[in-house]
Amino acid sequence: MTHTSDKSSAYSQGITIFVYLAVLTALEFFVAVTIGFVQIMVAVAVVKAALVMYYYMHIYKLNNDNEGEENSYEYKTGTNRLGLWLFLLSDSFVFGALLVVRFNLLGMTRPPLSQTLGLIVTAVLLISSFFMNRAEVAIENGDRKGFKTNIIITLVMGIGFLLGVVGVEWPNAIAEGVWASKNTYGAVFFMMTGMHAFHVLTGIIFLLIVLRNGSRGLYDEKHYPVEAVAVYWHFVDLVWIFFYPALYLIGVLSS
Amino acid sequence: MRHFIVVGVLIIVMAFATYFGLTSLGLMPVAASAQAGSISQAGSIDWMWNLQMIAMSFLFALIAVPIGYSLIMFRRKKGDTTDAEHIEGNTALEITWTVVPLFIVVAFAYFGAYSLSETLRADPNAMVIKVMARQWSWSFEYPQAGVISNELYLPVGKQVLLKMESPLDGVLHSFFVPEFRMKQDVVPGRVTEYRVTPTLEGSYKVRCAELCGTSHYNMESPVNVVSQKNFDAWLNARQVEAQAAKTPEGAGQLLVAANGCTGCHSLDGKAGVGPTWQDLFNSQVKLADGSTVTADEAYLTESIAAPNAKVVEGFQPAMPQYPFTPEEIANLVAYIQTLK
Amino acid sequence: MMKNMNPVWRGLLFLVLFGLVGYALGLGVDFLVVRSLRFSGSVPSLFTLLLGFTAFFFGLFGYRGITRGLVWQVVGTLLGGFFVAGIRAIMGLSAFGDFFFTEPSWVFGAFVGAISFIFGVGAVDDWVKWARGIDTPEEHEEHYHGWEKYFAVSLDHKVIGIQYTVTALLLISIGGLFALIFRTELAQSSLQFLTLDMKLFGQNGPQLYNTLMSLHGMIMIVSILLGVAGIMNYVVPLLLGAQDMAFPRLNAFSFWVAVPASVLLLMSLVLGGFDTGWTAYPPLSARAPVGMQMFFLGVFVAGWSSILGGLNIVATVLRMRAKGMTAFRMPILVWASIATSIISLTATQLIGLSFQLVMFQRLFGMGFFDPAKGGNPVLFQHLFWFYSHPAVYVFVLPGLGVISELLPVFSRKPLFGYKWIAMSSLGIALVGFLVWAHHMFTSGMNEYLRVPFMYSTLLVAIPTGVKFFSWVATLWKGKIETPTPMLFVLGGIVVFLLGGLTGPPNATVSVDLHLHDTYFIVGHFHDTIFGGFVFPFFAALYYWFPKATGRRMNETLGKIHFWLMTPAFFALTLGMMRIGLLGMRRRIVDYDPTMGFDTYHLMLTVMGYLIALSVLIFIYNFFNSINNGEKAEGNIWNSRSPEWQVPSPMPTHNYDQPFEVVGEPYDYGLAGSKYVQFIEKKK
Ligand code: HEA
Ligand code: HEA
Ligand code: HEC
Ligand code: CUA
Ligand SMILES: [Cu+2]
Repeated sequence: MTHTSDKSSAYSQGITIFVYLAVLTALEFFVAVTIGFVQIMVAVAVVKAALVMYYYMHIYKLNNDNEGEENSYEYKTGTNRLGLWLFLLSDSFVFGALLVVRFNLLGMTRPPLSQTLGLIVTAVLLISSFFMNRAEVAIENGDRKGFKTNIIITLVMGIGFLLGVVGVEWPNAIAEGVWASKNTYGAVFFMMTGMHAFHVLTGIIFLLIVLRNGSRGLYDEKHYPVEAVAVYWHFVDLVWIFFYPALYLIGVLSS
Repeated sequence: MRHFIVVGVLIIVMAFATYFGLTSLGLMPVAASAQAGSISQAGSIDWMWNLQMIAMSFLFALIAVPIGYSLIMFRRKKGDTTDAEHIEGNTALEITWTVVPLFIVVAFAYFGAYSLSETLRADPNAMVIKVMARQWSWSFEYPQAGVISNELYLPVGKQVLLKMESPLDGVLHSFFVPEFRMKQDVVPGRVTEYRVTPTLEGSYKVRCAELCGTSHYNMESPVNVVSQKNFDAWLNARQVEAQAAKTPEGAGQLLVAANGCTGCHSLDGKAGVGPTWQDLFNSQVKLADGSTVTADEAYLTESIAAPNAKVVEGFQPAMPQYPFTPEEIANLVAYIQTLK
Repeated sequence: MMKNMNPVWRGLLFLVLFGLVGYALGLGVDFLVVRSLRFSGSVPSLFTLLLGFTAFFFGLFGYRGITRGLVWQVVGTLLGGFFVAGIRAIMGLSAFGDFFFTEPSWVFGAFVGAISFIFGVGAVDDWVKWARGIDTPEEHEEHYHGWEKYFAVSLDHKVIGIQYTVTALLLISIGGLFALIFRTELAQSSLQFLTLDMKLFGQNGPQLYNTLMSLHGMIMIVSILLGVAGIMNYVVPLLLGAQDMAFPRLNAFSFWVAVPASVLLLMSLVLGGFDTGWTAYPPLSARAPVGMQMFFLGVFVAGWSSILGGLNIVATVLRMRAKGMTAFRMPILVWASIATSIISLTATQLIGLSFQLVMFQRLFGMGFFDPAKGGNPVLFQHLFWFYSHPAVYVFVLPGLGVISELLPVFSRKPLFGYKWIAMSSLGIALVGFLVWAHHMFTSGMNEYLRVPFMYSTLLVAIPTGVKFFSWVATLWKGKIETPTPMLFVLGGIVVFLLGGLTGPPNATVSVDLHLHDTYFIVGHFHDTIFGGFVFPFFAALYYWFPKATGRRMNETLGKIHFWLMTPAFFALTLGMMRIGLLGMRRRIVDYDPTMGFDTYHLMLTVMGYLIALSVLIFIYNFFNSINNGEKAEGNIWNSRSPEWQVPSPMPTHNYDQPFEVVGEPYDYGLAGSKYVQFIEKKK
């Protein structure tokens, strides 16, 4: 499957990728609860990440927009795209380091967290990515109304994720004895989810901004801002693709 | 061609001059351990350092001499405004000066690994000594003899294995004796090891080499390398003392040694981070809040159990809280009472 | 009268007046909180610092630009502090502490203060407009002219480059001043004036020594990052033929965050200090005074500057090159900048995270590095050095780039082995990512890691060697001239050689067991830093100064600067290495007199003062030449580089005519060859 640009095939591509991702997540979960084979889980996460990067974040676009005069909108957009990706590269070092901290301190054990909740928030974030993709396709095809609906759904799911983590997951973890100040399980769990939630929060702010400006028709012609927010949003999802197994699936439960 | 010959000769002269000039200065302190060794003892640290000196002297000359030579010989003549010859590069040369250093590096990697393994070579019969590093004092425990001391005594010619610890709520320190050429950090929450075979009798000092706070500079303790006979005698005397620890004052004195109180408190009237203990008992102590108390047993007990409850005038509330049992505190107080 | 005064004098007058007012205010606050007057306490000093600093810029520049930023920072800090104090009061916790606020108040306040600065100074105005859906003009106009434009937000990369450079010089002076203070203490064994009874900023002598020494390290390092950014910002777009950087607003942002960051670093001095060295290892850093938090925050914020600056350089080089400038026709400094920027873009995140983790350990009791809670102190060192080793190549790669850039000009010969030098920069940067644990050979990390890290470290010698040999070959049979910039280039090469060659002994584990944490290391890194950064930095300043101002710096003073600094510097570092080998430990306020180091230390102190004197001469020369230097508007160095083909000072929008690259950059001596060709504008 290659990348497409006309609207309906772009929509259906979004759906296909979403189904792949959902199935892979289910597989990951299944592996975790049955054989607990870490290599498979890592491999699944990597495949998911690759799918997101290629189909949702269009990493290939870095390659194909050298056209356009200098100072033209196309050329500048290409530069902006590069800038954003460089920023994400930089940011991923933080998340990478957090994974290192997690494996250094906890090794092959994991904190006692509610599996159901974990699966639910993961699903919510994944679905929000799906709608983000639809919003982007909509605005690229001049469909302002579709854009609005989809962005709002994304926003709601994003806020839901945030509330789920901070409002439900955190108290639940505390109830299980995973305190930030009690042991390294708590420290690692709160640091990782907190850092990720902070990124979700900034993503929500960006979503609000493009929602407001987009509904006023600002992006009907020049829709790079929406693409940028989409890439950022998918990146936050991408991070969770690795954080989820690291926090919930890999390793044996600590007593 | 003439240029190359002259420079070549100069490089060799300069390399030798640098090497012999530097080594004649006596760059290292005396070597007092088998690990430090000497330049002729293959695998030892001084041997390795000497190889480094040779390489450094040569490489320094190799670069510095042609630069100096060019500066003198290839200066622009007055009034000349032309450019120099157009030479862009030379792939063969570039490859040479990539590959030759690569060989040097590989050689040094080999020597380095060899030297490290020699340095770490373990003697299964090494004598174990436990080291406790605190802010800011060292204490040494000889487990077989049941002796705890503020000074480290080592028998000459025998490998010892120091098992080093810092309290769980402590900080990093580093055990460093320049004459032994080695150091090893002490990390709270784990036991680190330091193996050394002293070879030269004498008095040295362990100097803490990891910044550990205000008095880091002062965290030094004597290290005495003595003959086996003197060592046994010393250990015996300490054991006799330990017997004395059956009395409260004696036990207190041992606790003082083990906890490094004397890092801050002197016994002879000198000022330190904390007040001296000489003539402390029953004296009048001025406190920071302006009041005065008598240093009776109750006050001393409180000062140790809750150091910051009453702070002596002119001092910081810097004293750590120790997890002593009431009995231990009583022993400490008994000991302090004896200090006149 | 005030109105007609020279702004600089007015600024200084304000500094003194408001400094005193701040001190009195601080005493008052202290009295209210702790009910006693602490003349040597930290709160009065803090108020002196903040008020004096702000008032200086107020007198100089009025309430706009940087002054507004500073006022907002002070107000933001106080508001943030009171906010947390209020919350704590409601929760029944103590609202105020030893340093007026409690630690959480300070951290939150300082953070809010830094953000407020950015808004106050106006560095994000355009972004806020964009978010509100308002477009801003592409062709930005300057609001200020002459010297004034350096004190407010400007989007011009040349202005930003100069802002960076001057800030770096200021920080070098402050860091150098700290060095002079603690070197004076070290001139003799036993405690001279930093004694146990001496109190300043609420710290006693040895503690103050540690604070000054640690701040010396970190302020110098930040100043290097800013100096590097200054050179790259000014020169790289010119070399590429670009109008500006790829992201001008981000560029301004990167510079302006460095200002509140510097203020935060200085605040750490007056908030109890911190006695951990610039490396801030826990557990010690988890219990140092509040100053530690200011240090962490300051470095954290300065890190943004570095990350975003690096991002901008990478994007600029990839997207803004002139026509015909293929990868291997880029000037060599551009290669060096790219290599540097890759490191600062990625690795910097790790020092930020490691500091953040310690901050959280202090604030929320999260036990990452607390062994009592199952944490691992050595983990911090891994995270820290994963940045801080590659960072040392951030310091030197641009400097080595400057050396490679200037050598051909002054020996009138092509750069020998251009491609090899270009690739060696990348090689150093990439191998540099794999060597960090050589700082931890004695740390108690897993023993089996020591040998691989020894190998990888030794490998760095190879690409570095390629540079050295190629430089020698460039000089060989050249027609060498030695004006001041070339003197600094040559000095830099030899000093860096000395520093570089003392690297492999450190990398050899068994020898490092002896060398680690001694003055040998101190000598090693002053050599590498001076050779790789300070000398080339001065060379660059002397070289490009005429480009920026249309005048050149005084040659005689330049030569005096060089001939004073170089011998003094050699004596300084060789002396450091000598006593280091004999067992002189780092980071100690006093040393054992029986070791016989007194004479050496006295010599080191004198040399430190001589270097400072030479830098003072430079600073005088620099500021004096802006208006009084000899006019130099043409291609005074007879260089092939594009920026010298147009008149100085550089026009506001760089090149009026775009140029096309038609040849190799360094083809000196090839008759009729040209590097760039200006394209006639089509009318
Ligand atoms: C500008 C900064 C800079 C640079 C460029 C370097 C370059 C190098 N450094 Fe340095 N280093 C520091 C700054 C720098 N360092 C600082 C700040 C510290 C202390 C931090 C602290 O603890 O506070 C430190 C500490 C430090 C240590 C830790 C010591 C310790 O604390 O125990 C080590 C150990 O391996 C080391 C090694 C090296 C090596 C191998 C290089 C190499 O890159 C050098 C390569 C160059 C050459 C080798 C010379 C030229 C080459 C040739 C002529 C070719 C032929 C040569 C051979 C075949 C050998 N450095
Ligand atoms: C850019 C980097 C840089 C530079 C330039 C310097 C410059 C100097 N350094 Fe620095 N140094 C470090 C980086 C640097 N250092 C680092 C990273 C450490 C490690 C810290 C740690 O262990 O944590 C260190 C540690 C260090 C030590 C070890 C301290 C210890 O371990 O206890 C010593 C000791 O002598 C020292 C000395 C000096 C001296 C004498 C200079 C001289 O060259 C200074 C010369 C003076 C100036 C350049 C300023 C001149 C200007 C003025 C005097 C004008 C002042 C005017 C106004 C403010 C208006 N340095
Ligand atoms: C870090 C330095 C330090 C160490 C180690 C230390 N103390 Fe102290 N001590 C002080 C300081 C500073 C004071 C004065 C301030 C105060 O009263 O809290 C003090 C005060 C005291 C006093 C009251 C003295 C007086 O003159 O009134 C006693 C008793 C005492 N310490 C006992 C001990 C004992 C016993 C130990 C070892 C188990 C010990 N200290 C270890 C720093 C230290
Ligand atoms: Cu203990 Cu330094
Ligand atoms: Cu390093």
